[in-house]
Amino acid sequence: MTVAIQKKICMLGGFSVGKTSLVKRYVASIFSESYLTTVGVKIDKKTVTLGERVVHLILWDLAGEDDMSSLRMSYLRGSAGYVLVADGTRPATLETALSLRRRVEADCGPLPFALLLNKNDLREQWAIPDGELEELRRSGCWVRSSSARTGEGVEDAFTDLAARVAP
Amino acid sequence: MENLPAQVADRLRALTFADRAVAYLYVDDALALIGAGGRLEAYGLGALRLGAPAVEQAAFLEGLLPLVETPYLVPSIELAKGCVADLHFWRDEGGVWALLLEVTSERDATRRLQQKAYDMTLMQEREAALNRRLEAAHAELRAQSAELARWNKTLEERVAAQVGELERMSRLKRFLAPALAELIVSSGDESILESHRRDIAALFCDLRGFTTFAESAEPEEVLELLRGYHATLVPLIQSFEGTLDRFAGDGLMVFFNDPLPCPNPAERAVRLAVAMREAVAALAAGWRRRGHQIGFGVGIAQGFATLGQIGFEDRFDYSAIGTVVNTAARLSDAAADGQILVTSRVASAVGDFAVLGDIGALAIKGLSRSLVVSNVVALKSGQHQQAI
Repeated sequence: MTVAIQKKICMLGGFSVGKTSLVKRYVASIFSESYLTTVGVKIDKKTVTLGERVVHLILWDLAGEDDMSSLRMSYLRGSAGYVLVADGTRPATLETALSLRRRVEADCGPLPFALLLNKNDLREQWAIPDGELEELRRSGCWVRSSSARTGEGVEDAFTDLAARVAP
Repeated sequence: MENLPAQVADRLRALTFADRAVAYLYVDDALALIGAGGRLEAYGLGALRLGAPAVEQAAFLEGLLPLVETPYLVPSIELAKGCVADLHFWRDEGGVWALLLEVTSERDATRRLQQKAYDMTLMQEREAALNRRLEAAHAELRAQSAELARWNKTLEERVAAQVGELERMSRLKRFLAPALAELIVSSGDESILESHRRDIAALFCDLRGFTTFAESAEPEEVLELLRGYHATLVPLIQSFEGTLDRFAGDGLMVFFNDPLPCPNPAERAVRLAVAMREAVAALAAGWRRRGHQIGFGVGIAQGFATLGQIGFEDRFDYSAIGTVVNTAARLSDAAADGQILVTSRVASAVGDFAVLGDIGALAIKGLSRSLVVSNVVALKSGQHQQAI
């Protein structure tokens, strides 16, 4: 018998790292070159089938973190897990992502998460050494490089996270 | 509103909600939807079923109910149809109210400002990244330039060293056979040229009748004769590995066993002298055809001399000084055309391969006693050779 459950997942990261593009790629399989910043939160839904289970992921695509608007923790209430996104061509955004993780853990406890180093199609501008990825993996992070443009790593990240939030 | 007349309150309500979609949900403690109203379709909530689970019908409620804080605001939520609302929660005795108050216009205004700020920040970040790459490229260029300068310096040093070697070689070749000069330069050890004493065989030679010829001939003719004479003798000297001490007009001084030692200096000197005599005899035949009676004589002595570089900066010569040199010079003076006069020590050293003629005792200027002198008539049969 098929069991359907619903889980809230938040997308977190600095501005212009590709959170909205990743959700669009995952939910609608589309990618747009134009950048439109997110204000507040945009909600989408994606259904994943994991064996006998159907998991409805309610994706909260939160506004990017910057110096002016810090994360509103009210958005995270009731979240089952989250996706941290950094831009592999901008090393500072990885720091932002790791800082967000610390704040989420301080407020909500240790939730399942996936860290995506996005824009891996821009290899010539890539600025995060492979060694740093390895170090994050060794520290227990689920971390992958991804591309919302090509779709690389996107499906895997959400499916894996879905399996962990709805075991 | 209670202090406002009904007309004002109605107008105010109309102004507030004219362009805003307002909707509400009412959820009981069992999380069932027990009430809903307003412009629900603007938020994609047009098909709600009262009594059914609220969270399954309004996905944005996932995780927010049951309410743990009241009132509670989730600002600026964009739902399925692109409509943006502030989501206000509060509870009463019957359950939890969720009010969706549209803020799409405000969100769009904020987004326009934020977009400009982010675009500016991204441009600055790209500029900074470009500057870093430029600086890195500059640093690399500077490093390459420094490397190039180091290579140039090394090259200059090598060129200077090679020029120095060439100069040394050129200097040494003036008095050493080329092979010996190269040996000394390649070994880098010139201490051999410092002042020292050694047993050498000294050979002097000059032309008979040259002074008379030089007095009567044109200078150009004299120079041409000397050029031919030197061009004939110098290669012979080098082929016998003799050290050429000096030219003085028609006079030449050569010695053996220095600066590089050889086992048989007297023998080499005598073999060279015989080769010289034969070569000059061929030249002299030509001179005679032009009316010049010019002969050739040689003197050879063996003994210790002081040797080394003499002279001054830019004009060094390698030379031998001592009685042996004077003796060879005097014997050369005393030699008639075709004679190779040698001291008794030289004679005894070459007796096995040379035919010697006894000259007897000669009084030599500068020596207190006379010397027994022999003339090298020829090399014995089978002993003739041009070079060592």
